[in-house]
Amino acid sequence: MSHHETNFQGDVIVAIVSAIESKIANSKADVNGGGGHYTIAVTSPAFAGLGRVDAQRLVYSAIAHLMAGDAAPVHAVDSLRTLVPPL
Amino acid sequence: MANLTDGSNPTHAHIDAILKENRVVLFMKGNRHFPQCGFSAQVVNILDEFLSSYKTVNVLSDPAIRDGIKAYSNWPTIPQLYVDGKFVGGCDIVREMQASGELGGVLGADAPRVVGGAGSSGAGGNAVTASADGPPKVTLSASAVAAFKQALGGSSDHPRLHIPSNFEHELFIDEKQAGDIEVEADGLVLLLDPGTARRANGVRIDFVTGGGGEGGFKIDNPNSPPRVQPLSVKAFKAMIDKGEKFELFDVRTPEERAIALIERARHLDDQGVDYLQGLPKDTPIVFHCHHGMRSRAAAERFLSTGFTRVYNLEGGIEAWSRDVDPTVPRY
Repeated sequence: MSHHETNFQGDVIVAIVSAIESKIANSKADVNGGGGHYTIAVTSPAFAGLGRVDAQRLVYSAIAHLMAGDAAPVHAVDSLRTLVPPL
Repeated sequence: MANLTDGSNPTHAHIDAILKENRVVLFMKGNRHFPQCGFSAQVVNILDEFLSSYKTVNVLSDPAIRDGIKAYSNWPTIPQLYVDGKFVGGCDIVREMQASGELGGVLGADAPRVVGGAGSSGAGGNAVTASADGPPKVTLSASAVAAFKQALGGSSDHPRLHIPSNFEHELFIDEKQAGDIEVEADGLVLLLDPGTARRANGVRIDFVTGGGGEGGFKIDNPNSPPRVQPLSVKAFKAMIDKGEKFELFDVRTPEERAIALIERARHLDDQGVDYLQGLPKDTPIVFHCHHGMRSRAAAERFLSTGFTRVYNLEGGIEAWSRDVDPTVPRY
């Protein structure tokens, strides 16, 4: 897997999880990866009734600041799953 | 969203135009025939199963498009699939839609269930329909239907024909999957995945038995590009017993031929080559050697000279002697 240079200070996974969980209501984020590539699964009732594109957009906009620019800490999201919690 | 009013965003206008002119558009890295990223390749492979043509835009060849499409879609990653001007999703979403069976409908590439024709193997006149994206016409002979039914017993599964892009046909028992196209024949249901369905128009499945009662399925696909077809010694024996027309060539040395021969095989010496080259290009030609390796190489070479029905006798005269005619000496 390619490695991407970044100036980001601190743990990228922690940053992704806290960005998602603070911006999406009642969400739980499960993030793995490194070297610029991450897999993300998010569970939240906020996704209920949303189409796949709109649900994924919520997540992408929560972490947009981590994906911006050439030296972004999140270079690629290899897999993104948006799940609604069981009733 | 697109901004056309003051012409200050020519990239957005360009993207608008592409989406207007093409029903299905994939913004990707690389192109359809040479994807340059694993996620783009995954989407291409999936689309290839449903569509014979669609537009791809290589974002690597234009940085303005690479950034522009992300802004246009409000979506940070590549690949991006559009259908009828609407953003459908990236790799994850396309894969989920394929797994759930909804992708065909979104692409407008659903094929309805097909009622195939079961008939005796002598029945002619099953015209191959020309449509590339309509349902495929697949014929099962009566003996093939009987052989499938026997193989299935009481199982609730179905026979499946799988044709990958290299046309190495596979036939096996399987469960129905989402998106399958079904061919019905005589109370039997044959399953085809969408990619197979695109390659299966005009396919005929038969079951041939040789003198000893053994046999195998024989699949004829008019869409197969000419390639060397492996032929088992048992299937070859069945062809002979049925009186099928073919020419058999032995590619071994004269010394080997002095030890053991298959009846009616012509030696591929200079005379044999001349004779072979004079044959019509659609003559079924079977090549054999001792174990089946030299004959495969010879078969490949003759394929490139324009012959379309070329077979390699798998296992060679060794397998022939062992499994069909033990009177032929082994060495």
